[in-house]
Amino acid sequence: MRRRPGIGGLQTAAAARDQYRLLGENVAKIRTDLMKEQLTTFRTQLEDFARKHKNDIRKNPAFRSQFHNMCTKVGVDPLASNKGFWAELLGIGDFYYELGVQIVDICLATRPHNGGLINLQELCNLLRQRRRSDREAVSEDDCLRAISKLKVLGNGFEVISVGKRKLVRSVPTELNKDHNEILELAQAQGFVTVIEVERRLSWTTGRAIDAFDTLLDEGLAMIDDGHKDGIRRYWFPCVSSISTPGGADT
Amino acid sequence: MQKLGDFKLPQFFNYPPYFTLQPVRDTREKQIQLWKDLILDYCKTQNVFVIAVEDQDFPLFSNPAIERSLTHEAREAFLSALVSQGRAEWLDKNHRKCLILWHRIQEWANIILEFVKENGLENSVMTVEEIRSGPESRGTELHGIDRTVLMRALKLLEQKGKLAIFKGTTADDEGVKFSA
Repeated sequence: MRRRPGIGGLQTAAAARDQYRLLGENVAKIRTDLMKEQLTTFRTQLEDFARKHKNDIRKNPAFRSQFHNMCTKVGVDPLASNKGFWAELLGIGDFYYELGVQIVDICLATRPHNGGLINLQELCNLLRQRRRSDREAVSEDDCLRAISKLKVLGNGFEVISVGKRKLVRSVPTELNKDHNEILELAQAQGFVTVIEVERRLSWTTGRAIDAFDTLLDEGLAMIDDGHKDGIRRYWFPCVSSISTPGGADT
Repeated sequence: MQKLGDFKLPQFFNYPPYFTLQPVRDTREKQIQLWKDLILDYCKTQNVFVIAVEDQDFPLFSNPAIERSLTHEAREAFLSALVSQGRAEWLDKNHRKCLILWHRIQEWANIILEFVKENGLENSVMTVEEIRSGPESRGTELHGIDRTVLMRALKLLEQKGKLAIFKGTTADDEGVKFSA
């Protein structure tokens, strides 16, 4: 005969549940403690490391980049707060904010010429020229980090990849795939022609002209009718630095 | 950096599209601004007063290094922009020659007054030619000034009673008496 549920059985079950819960809590606590301990050790180690290599981190861009990589892997962002331990220890928070301000400055200053799209390399060069009094070297990686920090100001700044190069966009223009392909093509000589686009990308004339018109409207392209072959060239100041005119005679 | 004699050319001068008038308004305005500054700057340092639109030898109108030169349309556009700003004047109806005023006439008039004061020429008489090429003006901005510009500035000063212009028998011996 089956036993019917009685008060005793219920009590036993409740007691067992309590036991299990207690045991579980203990195990979890032990684990957390262990984890906490590991984290503390890790943090101390990382701090020691940062302290030991403080100068390297500040002076050597390659080392800095690797340090950042390491931090990202373990989920620490030394730039997360300017007031935090890392900024105090390394002073690199200020470094990137300073870079950020200078980058904004350069982007604004060159905007009339390049329509708000600038080659990362050129941006870096201009940045170095401006900072030549500072001994601390600046790498492209630093520029990218500084730009990523500018995102908190809204989505005004963005790094886009076109072909092998990176371009920094400081105007809210949306470039579609067609525009990107044209920019990529233009990197070789600094300019492209409609015929070239038709041939290399297998586009129709209409599609090419349409894309060019948008790029002209955005101030990212300029026309050049002055070549002796009479074929209109579309130049892109953002891919060819004005100080080093490339492919002018081709 | 490319140079014309001792004149340092700006970087945009080496970028081919700046030699074609841009179709998009914003871009064209920036382009025109750059050219206006360049023309004024060049004329001022090289003492050029008159630009002939069709002058093939005017160094700013072409850049052999990149094989580009300004079209007639572009030249006229840049000069017209200067004219509308009061920094230049067309000398003929057909817009063939342009007088460049890197100093406005009023500014030239002030320079003349300063010149009179520094040389104690109040109540003295000078011929117009003397002002342009005499020993007193040597080393000042007045030396080698365009005759048209000078006469315009002098006439402005005459209207204000700062001097009197009197005519000689030929244009060469027009003279000026400065007031005290």
